[in-house]
Amino acid sequence: MTKKDIFINATFKDNSIWRQILGICSALAVTNLMLNSLIMGLGVTFTLIMANMTISLIRNWTPRSVRMMVQVLIIAAYVIIVDIFLKANMPLISKQLGPYVGLIITNCILMGRAEAFASKNKVFDSFVDGVGSGLGYTIVLLGISFVRELFGFGSFFGFKVLGSWWTNWSIMVMAPSAFFLLAMLIWGVNTYYYKVKA
Amino acid sequence: MKDSFLYPIVFMLIMVVLFTGILAVMFRFSEEKIRTYEDDTYQKKILSTMVTQIAEATEQSPDEIIAAYPESFEQYVQQLKPDGFERKVYQAVVDSAVVAYCFEIKGNGLWGSMSALVSTSTDFRTILNFAIVNQQETPGLGARIEEDWFLSQFQNIVFVVNPESTEDVTQSYEFISESQKPENDRQLKRVTGATITSDSVIKMLRAEFNYIYDYVRSKEL
Repeated sequence: MTKKDIFINATFKDNSIWRQILGICSALAVTNLMLNSLIMGLGVTFTLIMANMTISLIRNWTPRSVRMMVQVLIIAAYVIIVDIFLKANMPLISKQLGPYVGLIITNCILMGRAEAFASKNKVFDSFVDGVGSGLGYTIVLLGISFVRELFGFGSFFGFKVLGSWWTNWSIMVMAPSAFFLLAMLIWGVNTYYYKVKA
Repeated sequence: MKDSFLYPIVFMLIMVVLFTGILAVMFRFSEEKIRTYEDDTYQKKILSTMVTQIAEATEQSPDEIIAAYPESFEQYVQQLKPDGFERKVYQAVVDSAVVAYCFEIKGNGLWGSMSALVSTSTDFRTILNFAIVNQQETPGLGARIEEDWFLSQFQNIVFVVNPESTEDVTQSYEFISESQKPENDRQLKRVTGATITSDSVIKMLRAEFNYIYDYVRSKEL
């Protein structure tokens, strides 16, 4: 597989959310504001890239019996690094994300890519996979949050775009709307992109 | 070698030591920066909750006073340590006269504890300003209690209406939807999708004002 194929597979064809149904919790939780989604996407992408590369780098020395423990350790370490970095250098963003930075550890995409790709492929390929998977995740988060923020708050990245005539849809701010939107997205992708027949 | 009994144990041990070491070093280098930022943020919040009263007394603009931090904090704000009072309390002093008090109050939200700073008039009856210090609510939902529109509802409201009562000294409030307009000064807008968190804020204020009044009824701050 070429680097381009790896990237396109990770971002679109095997997108973590709409194809593999991974990382759903955060896709439901943080997507009522676009800014939160973007920051979450960047955090996950950084952790994916670093964890993928590290896991790939040590893959030939990692014993099979403890490989998942090693993967969790590496992922957790990078998440804590992100957390410390944000607290020290971008405290406002760190405060805004609150508990979600820590919860990146539990994002299934990280373990999924570590086990399915990074533990079997070269370092640069794993880097490309990490970038693609992170980008695919971020695109979906931003897509869902665009609809939720627009209808729920009448704004785009916090800037009011719908005037005072607009009545905010409270349901869009709450988690159930993310379930509907995500289901509609998966249905749309299956029908029009993968051409899956019912 | 990878199949031996000891190899996985030694490998895991090396990885744990390596990554724990990296994290420890990174934390040590960032610790001072994080602590300084947290202290500055906390002190700026104390100053900003009482800045209007300081500004009126000194005939400066609130922005000037905030811009002059940390000198303005040292000049106008003093921490009090009253006997047996289990909350942090500060007073703003201008020309030897107290113009406002600020209390750090604590309560429980939906997911965990929260703390806030509330500044009061010198008779402790009116809330002058209100700021959240820490909360663990859902980002985008309960965490929106930190937004200006929510906090500003508590500015300059007479919160203590029964100062002599030993049961409840506070005013009761009714929450309305975020999109509605309050019809009277006893209606407050709740955060959409965060009813429990919005209620928790009022619950915290009521409990803490009763605690403060319990104390000031018998002793001076």
